[in-house]
Amino acid sequence: MKVSLTRGAAVVLALLMVPMVAGAQAPTGRLVGKVVDGGASIPIGGARIEVVGSAIRTNSNVDGRYVLRDIPAGVVTLKVTMIGYAPTTVTGIRIAADSVSEQDISLNSMTVELQELTVTAAVAQGSVNAALDEQRNSVGIINAVSSEQIARSPDGDAAAAVQRVSGATVQDGKYVFVRGLGDRYTTASLNGARIPSPEPERKVVPLDLFPSSLLSGITTSKTFTPDQPGDFSGASVNIKTKEFTGQRFLAFSVSTGYNDAVTGQDAFFSPSTSRDWLALGANTRSLPETFNGVDFTQSLSSTTTNALVNSFRNNWSARSRTGSPNGGFGGSIAGSIPTGGTGLNYLVSGTYSFSQEIRAGQQRALAAAITSAEAEEIDRFDGVTGRNSVLWGGIANLSTAIGASTKITLNNSYNRTMDNEGRRETGYSENLAIPLQIQRLRYVERNVYSSQLGFLHSLGGGRQTIEWGVTASGVTRQEPDRSEVVYSVDDQGRATWFGFSNEAAVRTFADLSEDAIEGNANWQLALGRMGSGALLRVGGLYRSVDRDAVNTSYSISLNRPLPGTADESAPEEIFDGRFAGQDDSFFRVTPLAAGGSYTASDRLAAGYAMVSLPLSSSIDIIAGARFESSRVEVASLSSAGEPSLATPEFNDLLPSLAVTWRMREDMNLRASATQTLSRPEYRELSPILFREVIGFDNVRGNADLQRALIRNFDLRWEFYPSRGEIFSLGVFAKDFDNPIERVYQGTSGTRIITYTNALGASNYGVEVEARKALGMIGLETVTAFANATVMQSQIELDPNAGSVTNSERKMVGQSPYVLNGGITWSHPSKDASATVLFNRVGERIVDAGELPLPDVVEQPRNVLDVSFRLPIFSTLSARVDAKNLLDAPYQITQGSVIRERYTAGRILSVGFSWRQ
Amino acid sequence: MNFGFRSLTRSALLASAILVSACGDDDDDITPPPPPANPAPTGLAAAANGQTAVNVSWTAPTTAATQFVLQRATGAQGAFAEIARPAANATSYADQGLTAATTYRYRLAAVRAGATSDFSAEASATTDEAPPTSNVVEVTTDITTNTTWTADKVYLLKGFRKVANGATLTIQAGTRIEGDFDVVGSSLFVLRGARLVANGTAQAPIVFTSSRAAGQRQPGDWGGLIMIGNARINRSGVVNIEGTGTSADNPLINYAGGDNDFDNSGSLTYVRVEFAGFGPAQDAELNSFTFAAVGSQTQMSYLQALAGLDDHFEWFGGSADAKYLVSYESGDDHFDASEGFRGRVQYMIGLQTKLLSPRPGAGNVSSDPQGIENDGCGSNAGGGCDLGFNSTPLTIPIFANFTLVGTGPGVVGASGGYGMVLRRGVGGHYVNGILARWPSAGIGYRDAATKSRENEGVFSLKGIFIAQTTNAFQAGQQTYAGPAGDIEHAPATTAASLFTALAADPSAATDLDWSLAAGVAPRTGGVTVFGGDLANRAGTFVTATAFRGAADPNGAKWWQGWTIYADN
Repeated sequence: MKVSLTRGAAVVLALLMVPMVAGAQAPTGRLVGKVVDGGASIPIGGARIEVVGSAIRTNSNVDGRYVLRDIPAGVVTLKVTMIGYAPTTVTGIRIAADSVSEQDISLNSMTVELQELTVTAAVAQGSVNAALDEQRNSVGIINAVSSEQIARSPDGDAAAAVQRVSGATVQDGKYVFVRGLGDRYTTASLNGARIPSPEPERKVVPLDLFPSSLLSGITTSKTFTPDQPGDFSGASVNIKTKEFTGQRFLAFSVSTGYNDAVTGQDAFFSPSTSRDWLALGANTRSLPETFNGVDFTQSLSSTTTNALVNSFRNNWSARSRTGSPNGGFGGSIAGSIPTGGTGLNYLVSGTYSFSQEIRAGQQRALAAAITSAEAEEIDRFDGVTGRNSVLWGGIANLSTAIGASTKITLNNSYNRTMDNEGRRETGYSENLAIPLQIQRLRYVERNVYSSQLGFLHSLGGGRQTIEWGVTASGVTRQEPDRSEVVYSVDDQGRATWFGFSNEAAVRTFADLSEDAIEGNANWQLALGRMGSGALLRVGGLYRSVDRDAVNTSYSISLNRPLPGTADESAPEEIFDGRFAGQDDSFFRVTPLAAGGSYTASDRLAAGYAMVSLPLSSSIDIIAGARFESSRVEVASLSSAGEPSLATPEFNDLLPSLAVTWRMREDMNLRASATQTLSRPEYRELSPILFREVIGFDNVRGNADLQRALIRNFDLRWEFYPSRGEIFSLGVFAKDFDNPIERVYQGTSGTRIITYTNALGASNYGVEVEARKALGMIGLETVTAFANATVMQSQIELDPNAGSVTNSERKMVGQSPYVLNGGITWSHPSKDASATVLFNRVGERIVDAGELPLPDVVEQPRNVLDVSFRLPIFSTLSARVDAKNLLDAPYQITQGSVIRERYTAGRILSVGFSWRQ
Repeated sequence: MNFGFRSLTRSALLASAILVSACGDDDDDITPPPPPANPAPTGLAAAANGQTAVNVSWTAPTTAATQFVLQRATGAQGAFAEIARPAANATSYADQGLTAATTYRYRLAAVRAGATSDFSAEASATTDEAPPTSNVVEVTTDITTNTTWTADKVYLLKGFRKVANGATLTIQAGTRIEGDFDVVGSSLFVLRGARLVANGTAQAPIVFTSSRAAGQRQPGDWGGLIMIGNARINRSGVVNIEGTGTSADNPLINYAGGDNDFDNSGSLTYVRVEFAGFGPAQDAELNSFTFAAVGSQTQMSYLQALAGLDDHFEWFGGSADAKYLVSYESGDDHFDASEGFRGRVQYMIGLQTKLLSPRPGAGNVSSDPQGIENDGCGSNAGGGCDLGFNSTPLTIPIFANFTLVGTGPGVVGASGGYGMVLRRGVGGHYVNGILARWPSAGIGYRDAATKSRENEGVFSLKGIFIAQTTNAFQAGQQTYAGPAGDIEHAPATTAASLFTALAADPSAATDLDWSLAAGVAPRTGGVTVFGGDLANRAGTFVTATAFRGAADPNGAKWWQGWTIYADN
C-alpha cells in the first residue's frame, strides 16, 4: 500500500513536469468536438472537418466525434462538409497552447438552395453552449445542465445539480420533483438505462448517489417521445457520465470545507466503526447470529433472551465530539490506447468525499385538534442531529470503433454512500403525559452499480443506424442496527430508562437490494434524401427488475424492574451484560410487528415506432406511439405470517405528437401532446399493514390500485439571440386519470396511511427561462440567467377514501412557483470564473391534512451559493465555494404548528484541481 | 428408552452367561448349567398401528419352536392373558380391535416338544389418541342469515368472521367458541345492523376463548369480539376499527356516521372472552370486547374479559349500558371509553397483578395499563375530531361502583398504572369506586378541556376511595375542585386489607372475594343520592349505593361461579 502510494506520488510528480517540458515546444493545441444533425440531434459520422488555411483535417467518427491535433495556437476557422448537409463554417475558435478546446458543430440539412452557413464561435465557448444546442435541437422539450455548469456551481452531486433546472425542485436533497409533480412522476436513468431504486417504500432514485465530478451532464426531458420509457410526467432525468471526448487528460482535485455549524463545534454523533470511512460499515452492524433460528412464536428461555440481549452491539448513545472539516479528492484519466483504428478510448475517474452535518436547533412536533379544528402543537421534541457522510464512486468507460461504421462502448459506474447519524432529543409525550429523552443512532449504506455495453452501427453510408445494448445494474440499501432508546423524566428531573415500554430500546435491521437487467435496440432509417431530416425510428426494450426488501425490528423491554437505581444509568451500562447474566431474567426480547419484508419482480416489455418528418423547410413533426406491457408481482408476508400476493398487469399504448416550427434560424416554436403513465410502486400494492422503515407511519398498500394515465400538453417559444443565450417562454397542462395519492385513514387506534386512486387531477403552469450575456451594458464577460416556473394543480379525491380535510386541493409536492437565478462572470481567456446562484421554491404540501387539520406544508427558503474558479498556473486551478450562505431554516408547518425545523449551517470550501 | 434399557439388561445377562460358561471350562468344581433346552424368545417389540392395533414382532429363535404363545396385558398394572398362538415360522403378530390411547404390554413364549419356555422380556406400545369427537364446527364463512349455535358443539372461528347482512346470531348458554390459534386474527365481528344474542347463565356461561389447550394459552391467541352499532360517535369522516384492513379477509370496517343512539346490537349475558387481542399490525391490536357505536337498546351484563392483549372493554362512542363487568390481567386498559361514549356502567371489577407474556408475534403488552382510560376525542389516533377535544357528542359516561386494583410499583412502567386516566376533554361521572394499589397515581386528571367539563357540570368524581397509592392525583396535571369528601385518600390502607380474599397471585376463583372486609371504610361513604347531571343521566339504570366498590357487603357475590382467573 505504502509502496504504491509513493510510486503514485512519483508518477504524479513526473506528470506534473510534462506540461512544463511541453510548454517549451511550438505552441499548438488540440480541438475536439462532435458533429450533430441540427434538426434531429443525432450524430453525423463521416463529416469532413478541416482547419481553414492549413492541412489539418479529419473525419468524424460514427458517433460524430472528431479530434484535430497540432493546430497552431490562435484563432482559427473550421469548415465542415457532409453530403446532404449545408457546408458550415465556424469562425472565431480560440486554440490555446498546450490545451484542448472543444467545439461541437451542428449541421443543417441542405435546403433547395445550396447556401453556406457561417456560425461564429462565441467567446464563452464550451459546454453551456453545447447544452443549449442540445436543448435547441432536441425534438421534445428538454433542459440540459452541462458539466461546466455543474463545475461552476458548488453542487456536489446530481441532485444538487438538477435543482438548477427550470421547474425542478429537490426534496430532502435527493428526490426530484418537476413541475410540481411528486417524485413518482419523475424517472431517472444513467446513460439512458433505468437506475434501480434503493428506497424501501418507493421506487424513486435518490440522485445524491451520483457525485457530480463523474458527470458530463444531466438532461431533464419534460416531453415524452416514443423512444423513451413512458412512465413519467414531470420529467425523465438522464444522468450522463463522462466519456472520452478525444481529449486526453489526467486530472486530480482535492478540496476541504468549513461548515460554520459543524467545524470546531461540539455536537452529538453516532459512534463509528473502522470501516465506515469506506462506507463499508454495514457488515459490522448486521443482525447478530444469535438470532438465527430463534423461534419467536415460542416463549424464550431467559438463557436465550440474555444471549440475544448480550449479542447486540452495546451502542445506544450519541456521543459528543467536535465537528471536523469536510473534504474530498478525486482523479480522472482519459486517453486512447492505440490498437489500430481509432484505438481503445478510456476514461477512468474516481472520487471520494466526506462531510459532517449538524442539524442544530432541530425541532419536531405533531399537530392535533385540541380546543377547536385548529392545529395545536403536541409531542414537541427539541434536539440535535450530527451526521457523518461519505460518498465515493468511480467510472470506467471504454469505447472503440471497429471499422468506420461500428462503435462499441462499455460504461461502468459504481457509487457508494454512508450516512451515520446520531440524534438526541428531549420532549413531552401527550399520550403518556411525561417528558421523554430519546436517542437514535442510524447508519445507512447504499451502493449502486451499472455496467452498460452498447453498440452503434452505421449502415448504408449513414442512412441507417442501429443502436443496441445491454445494461446490468443493481443497488443496495442497508440500514443495519438502527437503535432507539427512550428515557422518561420524572418530576424531580431524574431520567430513567423507560424499560417497560416495548419502544424503549429498539433495534431495527433493514436491507434492500434491487437488480435490473435491461436490453434495448433502436433502428433508425433516414428517409428521403440524406439530410432531409426525415427519419423513421423503431425499437424495443425489455427490462427485468427484482427487488428484495427485508425489515426486522426487535424490542428489549423489562420483565421486572432493574435493581435499585440501575434504570438511571446510561444504556451502555444497562446493556453491558450486568443484568443479562446466567441467572437474570430482567429482559424480554420481542420482534416488533414491522411487517416490512417483501419481494417484487417487475417485467417490462416495450416497443415503439416514430417518424420525424419535415413538413416544410421550417416545420418538423414527430409522431409515434409506444406500447408498454408491465407485469409486476409483489409478495409480502405480514408479521403474523399472513402471505399476500399482488399481480397487476398493465398494457398501455402511449401516443406522442410533437411539432417544431423553426420560425427563424434563432427561434423555435414547439408544441406537443403526449400520453404517459405512472404505475403504482411496489410497496403500495401490498395490502399488508406495515410500519415504514422511514417515517414510522403505519401504511397499508392497496392491491387494487390502477396505474394513472396522464395527458400532457406543452407549448414553448424559444429564442436563441446568440450562442450561449436563450430566452424561452412555455406553458404546460396535464390531465390525470386515476392519479395515485397517499391518504390517511382514521381508525380507532393509530392512524393508517394508504394509497388510493384519486378521481382526477390537473396541473398547469408557465415556464420562463433566460440566459443573456450582459454585453449591452458593457459587461461582455458576465452572463445572467434565470428560470421560473409558476404552476397550479388540483386533485379531487373520493371523500370516502380516507380521512382527508380537503378532498379538493393542490397535489402533494406542488409548489406554486420555483425560482432559479444566477449571474456568472468568466474571464475571456482564462479559466477564472465567479458564479452566484439563487434558488427558492414556493411552499408545497408534503403531506395532505387529516380531518380536521390543514395540510402539512414545507415553507420556502432562500438558498444562495457562490463559487469562484481561479487558475493558479496553466495546469493548476483553485475553487472556492460558499454554500447555503443565508442558512435559512428548513421548516415544515401544519397550520400554526412547526412540525419540523432545523438549520444546516453554511459551508465554505476550498479546492484545487490539477489537469494536464 | 424402555426397550433400550431392557435389551441392555438382556445383553448384560447374556454376556455374563457366556463369561460364566467360559470360566466353567477351567473350573471343575462348578457344574456348568446345562444350556437351556427351551430358551425364551428374544427381540420382542411392539409398535402402535393407529388407534386400534399394535404390531408385535420378535426374532426368529435359533432353536425352532413348534408354536408361540403371545400374552397381552392392559396398562401398566394389568394381568397377562393369552391372545394368540402364532405359528412356528411367525415372527410377528398384528393385534387388532384395541382401544385408542391405551398402553398394552406383550410377552411371548415358545412351545417346543410340548413344553412352554419362559416368557420373553416384555414389550409395550400405546395406541394413538382418537381425534376429538367431531362436535367442532369450523366457522370459515361469514354469518349472513339467522343462525343458532348450540351448546353441544364447539365453534371454531377461522379468520375474521362477521355476522353481517342484518342477521342475528343466537348462541345458547354454555356454548364454547374458540378462536383458531392457527388462523391469525380469528375473531367475531357483529356488523352494523346485525345482532348477537348470547345469553348464558351463571351455571353455563358462554365462553369465547383460544383454541389452544389450557396451560398453553396466551394473550393474543385470537382476535376478540367486536360489535359495531349505528349510534353516534364524535369523529367525522370515515373511521375504521383498529386492526381491520390488514388483508383481503379483514377489510376495513367503518363505524362512523351512525345516527341512532337507540340502536340494538343484541344481548350479551354471562359471556367470557379469554386470551383475545391479536394485533394484525403493530399498535393495532383487537380488544377483548369492542363496542363501537353500539346503541342503548343493546343489553349487556355479566361479562368477563380475561388475559387479553389490548384493552379489555373498549367503547368507541355509542350509548350502550352495561352491568357487572369483570376484567382480569389486561394487556392494556381494563375499561376504556372514548369518541362520544354516553353509556352507563355499574359494578365493575378490574384486577392487575402482572403483565402476561403475549403470544409471540401477536403484538405487545402496554407499558401503561390503567384501570380506566377515558378520552374525549383522541389526539393521536387519527382524524375526525372536528372540534378537537371538544368534539361532540362529548364522551360522558357514568362509571359507578368500580373496584380497580393495580399491581403496585415495579411491575409496569413509569408512565403507567393509574387507577383512572381522564383526558382529552372527557366528561362523565365516576361514582362510588375504589382505586387501590396503583403505582403512578390514583387519577390522571389531564388537560384543560377535561377540566372544562367539570366546570360545565358534566364531570364529577364522587364517593371515590383511593388506597395503597401514594398520590391521589397525577402531579402537574389538573386538580379536582369538588368537595373534599368526594375523594377519600388512604395511602396506608392496603388493597389486601379491603377485601375478604385477595391473593397475591390468584389462580382460582376462591382466591378472590371482592366483598369488603369487615369494618373497612368503603363499606360506607357511598353517594346515596344522585343529583344534577348525574341524576339525569343515571335515570333508573344506575342505583346509588351506600357502599363503595363493586361488591355490596350484604348482596350476592355476583362475580362468583361464572368467572375464571387463569393465566394461561
